[in-house]
Amino acid sequence: MAKQLMLRAVGIDKRFGPTHAVDHISLDFAKGEIHALIGENGSGKSTFTNMLTGIIPIGEGTFELDGAQIVPKNQVDANHLGAAVIVQEQGTLDSLTVAENMFLGDEDQFMSRGIKNTPAMYRKAQELLDSYGLGRIKASDPIEHYNFEDRKLVEIVKSTWFKPKVLVVDETTTALSQNGRDILFDVMRTVRDDGRTVIFICHDMSEVLMMSDTISILRDGEFIATVSASEVDESKLKTLMVGRQMSERYYREDYGCPLTGDVALSMRKVSVPGQLEEVSLDLHKGEILGIGGLSECGMHEVGKALFGASYDRVGEVVLGDGTPIDSIDTAINHSIAYASKDRDNESLLINDTIQDNITLPSLRRMGLPLRAGELRDFAATYANVMSTKMVGVDQFVSALSGGNKQKVVLSRWLGAGSDILVLDSPTRGIDIKVKADIYALLDMMRREGKAILVISEEIMELIGMCDRIIVMKDRKIAGELERRPDMTEQDLIALMV
Amino acid sequence: MRAALKKLRQSRYYGVGLLLLIAIAIWAVFKLLTPSNFGDPEKLVSYLQTALIYAVGGCGLYFICVMGLFDFSIGAMMILAELAAIAFIPWLGYVSVVVVPVLVGLLLGIFNGVAYIKMRIPSIIVTTGLSLLYEAASVWMANVNGTRLPASHNAFGSYPWNLVVALAAFCLCGFLLKYTKVGTYTNAIGANELVAKNMGVDVDRYKAIAFALCGLFVGIMSILYLGYGTAQTPQTGMLSQSLNFKPLMGTFFGLAFRKYGHPVVSIVIGEYIVSMIFAGFVAMGVPTTINNIVTGVTLLAIVTLTTKRFNGAVVK
Repeated sequence: MAKQLMLRAVGIDKRFGPTHAVDHISLDFAKGEIHALIGENGSGKSTFTNMLTGIIPIGEGTFELDGAQIVPKNQVDANHLGAAVIVQEQGTLDSLTVAENMFLGDEDQFMSRGIKNTPAMYRKAQELLDSYGLGRIKASDPIEHYNFEDRKLVEIVKSTWFKPKVLVVDETTTALSQNGRDILFDVMRTVRDDGRTVIFICHDMSEVLMMSDTISILRDGEFIATVSASEVDESKLKTLMVGRQMSERYYREDYGCPLTGDVALSMRKVSVPGQLEEVSLDLHKGEILGIGGLSECGMHEVGKALFGASYDRVGEVVLGDGTPIDSIDTAINHSIAYASKDRDNESLLINDTIQDNITLPSLRRMGLPLRAGELRDFAATYANVMSTKMVGVDQFVSALSGGNKQKVVLSRWLGAGSDILVLDSPTRGIDIKVKADIYALLDMMRREGKAILVISEEIMELIGMCDRIIVMKDRKIAGELERRPDMTEQDLIALMV
Repeated sequence: MRAALKKLRQSRYYGVGLLLLIAIAIWAVFKLLTPSNFGDPEKLVSYLQTALIYAVGGCGLYFICVMGLFDFSIGAMMILAELAAIAFIPWLGYVSVVVVPVLVGLLLGIFNGVAYIKMRIPSIIVTTGLSLLYEAASVWMANVNGTRLPASHNAFGSYPWNLVVALAAFCLCGFLLKYTKVGTYTNAIGANELVAKNMGVDVDRYKAIAFALCGLFVGIMSILYLGYGTAQTPQTGMLSQSLNFKPLMGTFFGLAFRKYGHPVVSIVIGEYIVSMIFAGFVAMGVPTTINNIVTGVTLLAIVTLTTKRFNGAVVK
């Protein structure tokens, strides 16, 4: 029997200046299904769901939710109309309590004659948290008391407690540990089993296939196809997303490459209060060294410490010739590049042009006066080397997709001619085609003799790309693995937990 | 041990406790330096008298500053509100001393808010510009009925009525922050205006409300200030700006300690600390210039030491 229709999108269209982000997409979503929306970065998935959930206004077209047309003015309005979203980035606000965040914009249920019944709000928030198995989070606590993952879990409760007809989960799983993912997946299954609908945006194909009933593919803002999850495999999905057969040579295939004896960069007994404890490692020329571990293990601080961006650092970071690296300025002067996991806040000037972002670290060696034409050509050259999808180098970075933003970060350091690259989560939230491009670039740089350190939460990425993998646990190094063809995820997990 | 310390720091009473300790420490230092002229119970009560005045203004500014905005017109607003109160005494009697400053403050606050929303330029520029207008108006207002408050109308300058009015203002501020949408929304706007907007918060409306509330509290501060000083001379050439500083100091304390959940209490204790420092220097016979330098440095030191900062954090 055909499933009943929950949501119908008809001719949905959106432009941002010259960018046609969503091109007249029409799609149906049935009741009682988890419907994945997949596509490369910049394919229009988030723009589409952001219009549905009131984050941005609808350009053209209509959404019919359970038979009624909806035009949400903002997120809370969308919630009242039956559509909710859990966003990719942090969606809770500092300076508010957990409960205030949960009911922000929706306090009217606790208001009587303009007065808010704050104790009642805290009580209800706590009951909801308890019902999701999150009783350790206190509703009356300031939200700053909790880490990123806990705050994401609060968002899950905030977006689902009122039983929305459609729940959008937008690339949320990357921010969660396995336990957090289990909670999210349970919520998604509950929504589906209640006869409601989940729209699941995710770049992890195995998660998409595991969780979804139906999968729709978008490419360059256009609708490509809708398929049943039981009838496709990862390879077929990748082909649909990219528009051509993806090479199976996704990761490196060479093994047994000996390390050069040349050390490019070393950490010697580096500690950072609360983050790292006496970490020592050597990064060699012509090597990709991976750092893995659970999200709070301290691995992200390793990148900062190597780049001189870690504060209160104790211990030494030195180049192969013994030159100490104690500040970001010294690091850049000695050809060290760093890409942070928090791309939008720590790596990019988000409200600035692609040109300014790419040329920034190279200005110091360009000489005065700076010439506009030279800067433009410089930025365009390296943006094109990375095949950045853009209108021009004067386009603002904020208008780019996650994958293209990362390409801008890498273009910057390519342009700066960096010999040592420290890349934290280089493929976070990035589609498979851009991932493949980045992996190919890393391998090429490795063969050119550059030293590359990749910090990643994706185990397969570490296994597939790295010559050595250092696994961290509780702020310390738990073990080290050499590259070999029979290495499995379990080998790494055994050291992580 | 570390966990216990973290728990203590996250306690709701940690901030207030810390502020009280600082107040006691400052009292002890001045008491040691000038035992006969400082810190007797009677004097402590008189320090509170001035602290209450500025703390009320600090409460008003808190609504603005928590959103990352500023109101540099509060000094001019206060002068105008006081002179308006004096001007209407012949017709309204005691009602003029209470109602007129509050009404003038509220109206000017609404005007500030509307001007800021409509002009779409930074709040510092809008309110500095408007302060010039209010200063000019205060000169005109001073010509109506002079600049002195009749002795028969100064009950709000001393105990118990100053305390009654100030406590009412503090309760109102605490109530607005905790039991209305204003507190939540001004915090949310300060944390991330775009997200607040996406959550359906009418940002312009709540910014305007915050300016109106600031004006209201400045009006209440004017009642106390006029009663305490019994006269007010009009100021021109931006001289009223100097009156912005003391309420702002209390607001800084409120902002620095708001994470502990008691901004109003922090504002009051903060103003009391500032008041004690001023009085301590006066007792020591220190010239006003030195007094101002040391007070400014002390304020910066206290807020710096008590604010949790991270190396490399972006501070604007």
